Amino acid sequence: MSALGGKAAGGEGMNPTGTVVGIVILLVSIAATYALGFSIVPLIGIIIGGALIGFGVHFVPVGGAPAAMGQAPGIATGVAMLAAGAGLAGLFGGAWAYEATGDFAVAVAGGAVGGGLMMAITCLMVNVTYVYAMGNPAASGKIAKDPITGDTFPEYKSQGTEGHGLPFISFFGGVVGGFIAGLGGTLIYIELLDVYHAGLPAIMQADAATIEPLAVSLAGIFAIGFFLVNAVLAAYNITGTIEGPHDPKFKRVPRAIIGCAVASAFCGLVSMLIILNTGM
Amino acid sequence: MEASAGAISENTLMIYGIVVALVGTYLTYLNVVTGIAVFSFFGGIGAIAAIWWGSDTIKHLCSYGLGTGVPSAGMVAFGAGAIAMIAGTKFGIASPIVTLILAAIIGAVIGYIANNVINMNIPVMIFSLMKLSMVGALTMLGFAAMCTGTFMFNGLVIGGMTLSMEPAAQAAAGGAQTFMVTIIPEFAGSLIGGSALAVIFFIGAIALQHPFNACLGPNESQDRTLMLAIEVGFLSMFVVAVMSFAFLDMVSAAVGLLIALLGWFFSYRKYIAYSKRDAYAWLDAKPIVEVGGDQ
Repeated sequence: MSALGGKAAGGEGMNPTGTVVGIVILLVSIAATYALGFSIVPLIGIIIGGALIGFGVHFVPVGGAPAAMGQAPGIATGVAMLAAGAGLAGLFGGAWAYEATGDFAVAVAGGAVGGGLMMAITCLMVNVTYVYAMGNPAASGKIAKDPITGDTFPEYKSQGTEGHGLPFISFFGGVVGGFIAGLGGTLIYIELLDVYHAGLPAIMQADAATIEPLAVSLAGIFAIGFFLVNAVLAAYNITGTIEGPHDPKFKRVPRAIIGCAVASAFCGLVSMLIILNTGM
Repeated sequence: MEASAGAISENTLMIYGIVVALVGTYLTYLNVVTGIAVFSFFGGIGAIAAIWWGSDTIKHLCSYGLGTGVPSAGMVAFGAGAIAMIAGTKFGIASPIVTLILAAIIGAVIGYIANNVINMNIPVMIFSLMKLSMVGALTMLGFAAMCTGTFMFNGLVIGGMTLSMEPAAQAAAGGAQTFMVTIIPEFAGSLIGGSALAVIFFIGAIALQHPFNACLGPNESQDRTLMLAIEVGFLSMFVVAVMSFAFLDMVSAAVGLLIALLGWFFSYRKYIAYSKRDAYAWLDAKPIVEVGGDQ
């Protein structure tokens, strides 16, 4: 759904020059981090986290305003808000798991499960609203048969609409998307937290226990910032609405992964400038 | 549908927005010069100027048919702006200018990725995202300065000092017990350490994307959209003023609160006046009176 009715002007396919320049920016960010004396492992983790967020957002069924009117399938809100919900909920779950257990694998898994769970609950309640409150059967407009359950859609799709409700493949896509986006967001948070745990005590001349709330808050707010930037880049890639992994728009995923990786690399470099000793 | 051209040009808005935002943020430095925190509210005025400018930038960006809604523009502005702002506050007195430059660079990179890697090919994308990142960073810096009275990193992270006293090993002359006193900064009670910055992040993001989102349509007029931007700016300033009671003394926080309330009242009145001017018909809705029984 476009804001003013102007046609979406995006081109299909990957732009080779742009992609190459993007990869150059990514490599320069990694080199700059190494040159400034930081370890590049956290930055690699941040890049992977950003790419995962961009990837996961494409699975989530986004319907936009038409879905609220029963004109299109998907959850009736925009990509940025859905990604914020799915990924940030996962991020909080993973952050709590990291603080409770201190174990990287458990925390990342906790974040992934948190995001997936949040999306599952959202999709369930959205479907209940569509089916029982609005009276729409779930039908997709892009495919004739559900790849997982085999349900057919054309006889249930209302005339003049693109489909409505959340068919099983969209529901499944939503949960998988939340899982992956939560995993990516938690990965970014944990990497930033480790960087700040290591770097802040030296800069602020305090010990690790006192610096803990500051490190957590800084990592948290940076993770939210990263998250929203990656989600909006993925939203621009999707141009607003997508039905789920079965949608033809899903084939655009590669350029979103590259774009989000580059954005995360550059923003990761900037976020490490905090613990750079500028002498101030 | 084309977005209205408007009486004030983009460049004029940009210059005014940047100048007022920077001047407002720098005026909070008077707190340091005079020793009282009353001048914090200038940061809020600067943030409102940035939101005022930013709502017009969102209008120009979204008129190109991004395919996605308006709120995402506000979110990306603050996502990039938050990263720039926190990194930029480490540079002492030059922080606002460094924040602006850093935000412009991050915005340019994200704009380049959106245009050339995501392949959106929108002519104004890179410049618009640069401007949006600058808006986000300036708004956050302005509100942070209003909330705590300073725009420098140490002021934003140190919430207070605690004294730790340990008895020293040797007694002083005359047999008195001596203590070693260390002053430890504590971070949990500060704007960033206490995560109050997240509130500024989101009220700023909502305030930035709301004016155009609410006013868009065939009859959109620039002065009405900008007045709505000022009104939601003062609303956000009110929230930040309430938050500032935790960080500043009562008088300074009350000054900010009063200015926010007065500003909101006048801008809201102006906004309603513009809405009545632009509306085809204005219905003063009254509750539907139940006549009784089925109709």
